Amino acid sequence: MIETILSSPLFGLGLSCAAWCVGLWVQKKTGFLLCNPLVVASGLIILILTVFQIPHADYDRGGSLISMFLGPATAVLALNIYNQRRLLKTYFFPVLAGCLAGCLTSLGSILLLCRLLTVESSIAASLLPKSVTTAIAVAISDSSGGIRSITAAAVISAGLVGALFSPLFARLFRITDPVAQGVGIGASSHALGTSRALEIGPLQGAMSSVSLCVCGILTSILTLFLP
Amino acid sequence: MPILGELAVILILCLLCEGIAALLPFPFPASVLSLLLLLFLLLTGGLKERHIGRVSSFLTQNMAFFFLPSCVGLIEYWETLSRVLVPFLIIALLTTPLVYAVTAWTVQLLMARRRNKEEQP
Repeated sequence: MIETILSSPLFGLGLSCAAWCVGLWVQKKTGFLLCNPLVVASGLIILILTVFQIPHADYDRGGSLISMFLGPATAVLALNIYNQRRLLKTYFFPVLAGCLAGCLTSLGSILLLCRLLTVESSIAASLLPKSVTTAIAVAISDSSGGIRSITAAAVISAGLVGALFSPLFARLFRITDPVAQGVGIGASSHALGTSRALEIGPLQGAMSSVSLCVCGILTSILTLFLP
Repeated sequence: MPILGELAVILILCLLCEGIAALLPFPFPASVLSLLLLLFLLLTGGLKERHIGRVSSFLTQNMAFFFLPSCVGLIEYWETLSRVLVPFLIIALLTTPLVYAVTAWTVQLLMARRRNKEEQP
């Protein structure tokens, strides 16, 4: 019976939804920054899989169904952008310039740190596209000789850092303008950060969606010119 | 529009973009392509908010949930990752706030400048 249960995609689906609700509950109870539903839920699932020695592939039969919705979830961000189109038209140039500055900083700082820390070139290539959304990042990493799994891990880490700490960053760096906050989140932590930006406000969410697109496109172009 | 109709519109649009992405001569993510196509359709009036509104708000309100399997998937990478853990963490933790700061400062500065210009023509 256990095998039947584990081999059903419903196992991963059910476990994910349940763990997510536990995560929401923990966040509501504690209000602590690190008790983000994503952190709590993934920690809980990893714990369950490890303790009961369940192969990750069993979980992923249901998990991959959830991941499949990342595409449509990214696509419908278009509606948020559409609803802010008037503002975007006014601030089109500042937003675009911000994205370009962000992409250059991201690529430059990663290259510099990799050199300082004497990281081997395949790891550097894997880390380079970490600020953009997974699909773009993996494509860039592939074409420059990176390791897919490290790229995926780096993208998720960048997203998590942004999703958890972006309100803190705004206070720390004195970013008071909602448009600037949104563009910053999208540029530094792609769609995962955007999910947090949407919670902060509709304007931040829309601007983060814009910058996630623009930075994705800019980064793909910029990496073509890298040595 | 029935809710399954909304879902059909969104899924078919994404599927179409996956096809287009495969045809492109350079690697480009289907999800960003579908965002751009959907935005284009909304701007030209080909699609209205009522065609996709309810499913869109469900998806965007629960966006972080869809990342959960990817986060759990980090355990699969543990072996590769543990070899480069220190540089990995330094780079991930340092560059993300740096990119945020540079981007947001640039936007804030340029917007303030534009506002000043409008106030004193």
